[in-house]
Amino acid sequence: MAYFFSNYHCFLRSVFIVFFFLVSAVARADVPRYGGSLILSSTSDPKSFNDITAQETSTHTVTGNIFEGLTRLNAITLKVEPALAQSWEVSEDGRAWTFHLRPKVVWNDGLPFSADDVVFTFNDLIYNEDIVSSARDIFKIGDEIFKVEKVDDLTVRFTLPVKFAPFLQSMSQSILPKHKLAKAVAEKKFNFTWGIDTPPAEIVGTGPFKLESYRPGERFVLVRNPLYWKKSANGDALPYLDRIIYLIVQNQDTAMLKFLDGEVDLISLRGFEYPMIKPLEAKKNFTVYDSGPDFGSSFFVFNQNTSRNPKTQKPFVDPVKSKWFLDINFRRAIAHAIDKTKMIEILMNGLGYPQNSDMSESAGFFYNPNVEIYEYDLSKAKRILSDAGYRDRDGDGVIEDSSGHPIEFNLFTNSGNVERVQIASIIRHDLQSLGMKVNFLSLEFNTLVTKLNATFDWDAIVLGLTGGIEPHFGKNVWHSTGGLHLWYPQQKTPATAWEKRVDEIFDQGVQELDENKRKTLYDEFQVIISRQLPLIYTVLNSNLYAVRNKFGNLHPTSFGGAFHNIEEIYIK
Amino acid sequence: MNKSALGLSQWERALTQFCANRFAVVCLIILALIHGAAIFADFLAPYSFSNEDRTFSYAPPSKIHFIDENGQWRAPFIYGRKITFDQYHKREYLDQVEQKYSLRFFVKGDAYKILWMVPCSWHLFGVKEGGRIYLCGADSRGRDLFSRLLHGARISLSIGIVGVLISFSIGLLVGGIAGYYGGKVDDILMRVCEMFMLFPGFYLLLALRAVVPASFTSVQVYVSIIIILSFIGWASLARVIRGMCLSLKEREYVLAAKTMGLSDLTIIIRHILPHTLSYSLIAVMLSIPGYILAESSLSLIGLGIQDPYASWGNLLSEAMGIVKIKFAPWILLPGFFILVTVMCFNIVGDALRDALDPKSS
Repeated sequence: MAYFFSNYHCFLRSVFIVFFFLVSAVARADVPRYGGSLILSSTSDPKSFNDITAQETSTHTVTGNIFEGLTRLNAITLKVEPALAQSWEVSEDGRAWTFHLRPKVVWNDGLPFSADDVVFTFNDLIYNEDIVSSARDIFKIGDEIFKVEKVDDLTVRFTLPVKFAPFLQSMSQSILPKHKLAKAVAEKKFNFTWGIDTPPAEIVGTGPFKLESYRPGERFVLVRNPLYWKKSANGDALPYLDRIIYLIVQNQDTAMLKFLDGEVDLISLRGFEYPMIKPLEAKKNFTVYDSGPDFGSSFFVFNQNTSRNPKTQKPFVDPVKSKWFLDINFRRAIAHAIDKTKMIEILMNGLGYPQNSDMSESAGFFYNPNVEIYEYDLSKAKRILSDAGYRDRDGDGVIEDSSGHPIEFNLFTNSGNVERVQIASIIRHDLQSLGMKVNFLSLEFNTLVTKLNATFDWDAIVLGLTGGIEPHFGKNVWHSTGGLHLWYPQQKTPATAWEKRVDEIFDQGVQELDENKRKTLYDEFQVIISRQLPLIYTVLNSNLYAVRNKFGNLHPTSFGGAFHNIEEIYIK
Repeated sequence: MNKSALGLSQWERALTQFCANRFAVVCLIILALIHGAAIFADFLAPYSFSNEDRTFSYAPPSKIHFIDENGQWRAPFIYGRKITFDQYHKREYLDQVEQKYSLRFFVKGDAYKILWMVPCSWHLFGVKEGGRIYLCGADSRGRDLFSRLLHGARISLSIGIVGVLISFSIGLLVGGIAGYYGGKVDDILMRVCEMFMLFPGFYLLLALRAVVPASFTSVQVYVSIIIILSFIGWASLARVIRGMCLSLKEREYVLAAKTMGLSDLTIIIRHILPHTLSYSLIAVMLSIPGYILAESSLSLIGLGIQDPYASWGNLLSEAMGIVKIKFAPWILLPGFFILVTVMCFNIVGDALRDALDPKSS
């Protein structure tokens, strides 16, 4: 749940968060039926079926249907609901949480699910230093871990070192079977367990579906788990669907053609594809849903790293450039040079939103609309620059700083993402007209990530991050010690006063259990970011889906996508 | 050179034979036109390659009118256009009848330098400020595709020609030395050649591109692409030249040159390599397309020439995607230009081979 770099427009949201049943949905005339398959497409192969070690969305697409956590997030109300735990209570001091597990839940191989599995997942997998896991950071506060203990077969107690506000949300962490994995952990082989060559029957979960087959580069098939614990409001054993088939396709275009041919039941659309797909709605019998602004972010960032390379003792960033990048007026001028309106028109055919804050509008509660907004105004940008001492002193068309250095820097983005390349090119063109010399280069995604978190040899980058509804899960970005604190990662002590304040907000916010007080804190954080502009935001896509008109119980949301309630979906 | 029975030199005869191939001559003329257009791109194109107007995103080609809305004849003009999005968010450009921009010749526009030297701002044609003329339509950011095609031709064609010249100089020299000296030198040089030929070209290209420092400016990237392409291309020529040298060095005139005490390098360059000229000329013609295509594919995948600079490959990269081709089919034009140029080079090369081959009638 920590933030990741987002490389491509996610075709399916990384984790399917399935929601507890919605009574109103069943009150309709349609009677749900069993059977049938849902056919989806995926543009990449899963790299493994190991939910703990996997970092890529293609794996979570599969495992999200196979495993479940103690809680889950309702994708419509964005509230936490019971899943494998049916109830819980918290102690007075807010640190000891006791979960009562749902009785009679079985793994899909028939063995009972119990508190041992929960304890195993945390103590032996997540907190196991031998295992590569991105989940560990979330379940750690400072250096302290949660104490996880079994009370009885159906009761687990978590004791936290301090209060942890997003605790219930974080409990949507998938629980894995002890009886299948204990041996691999004991032999220190867990990192390589459940690779893509594992026989499907070995992948055992409690979720609504289980893996039936996987053919690399071709398809993977999930089949209904007949032992699934959940019942619908009128007592039907869920899920309704027999199978979910993922076709692995080369790219979004292939997926779109397959959708138009009726081979695939859903595609997520990008704004510019809308005029091609939307007119075919009636003829091809599907519906296009627009569930509002996407999660995640897209931004322009300057390297504000002032530290030195420990080997060569040279600063990572040329001190001359560093001076500009650290200058808030310089960044403010650039924020005024982001032509968001035209970006939305050009890249998304008008189906997008300007982004001003880290939290997406779709995030709801924690979204703060009252942040500093920078309208596109090149003459204002020019004025800010010249007031701050950046002007063309020698008449060569390039502006210089107060000590006479011409403003020239490199701008990178990743070459695979056409949209991002376009955003970067538009920004570059406007900066050029402000008199800056910007060398634009698109790099391969992994090269770019290496620059960001290892070699730090970059000036400015256009990039995106995934996002969610809980601000604390962005801690690795916003806390000055964070590994994804892009502009100056892993600081020992905060470099600026405002970064110090943001650190305080994150440290306080996580311990504040009163939702409204938390909101005040995170609102302040969003305002600070919009004033200090470590990330200069650009535009967000609309979340668009085209779904064939044959599914019942369909309630697409921006957070969960079209099939977040996969176990309730049926074919009419 | 031997005089033939008809009293014509080998070159004169070849020229006659080449001219007899009408198709090849047409291709040669097309190539000359495209290269000429590339050289004078600044003047012929109404806009510079980076002149953008975002209100004309994917504007279709301008229609040039001679009759106005009242049915009256007048000098050629275009209507101003305004973008709207229809109910399906599709772009629609509506002609604004009250805005007319007459097509004018020899107009002032974006500044440039004639042949990179003389500053100038005259363009062959254009419309007055406020209007935009798009002969071949606009790209996503409202840049004129026609202007970008001409400017792109500069990069794509020059990469072909300069790349070929560099790699052939290397190939000729290495092949000449290997063939002339023979023995160990030959062995070593030929094994090196084989190493280059061993790797699949495109992957070697990608690998070499990856070592180019990211901080390079566009001009440096352009130069490094030329160098990389030449680096890959020289080996096969070197092998053929070496084979020819092996036989040429046994000729009497080489022996004569040796006895006269000329240095080895002079013998290779002055007396041996000129005899491989007809072969090299054909090989040059036939390998230019390879360079143009290699640059295009590199730029197509986003690793070659970077925006805002235009090359046919990076112009074509805009056309990746069904939706874009459907709504703005004109963005495929760079592909057409690549096709025509590559075809012309091949046909001319073939015709040259027929003309220069002494065995053909």
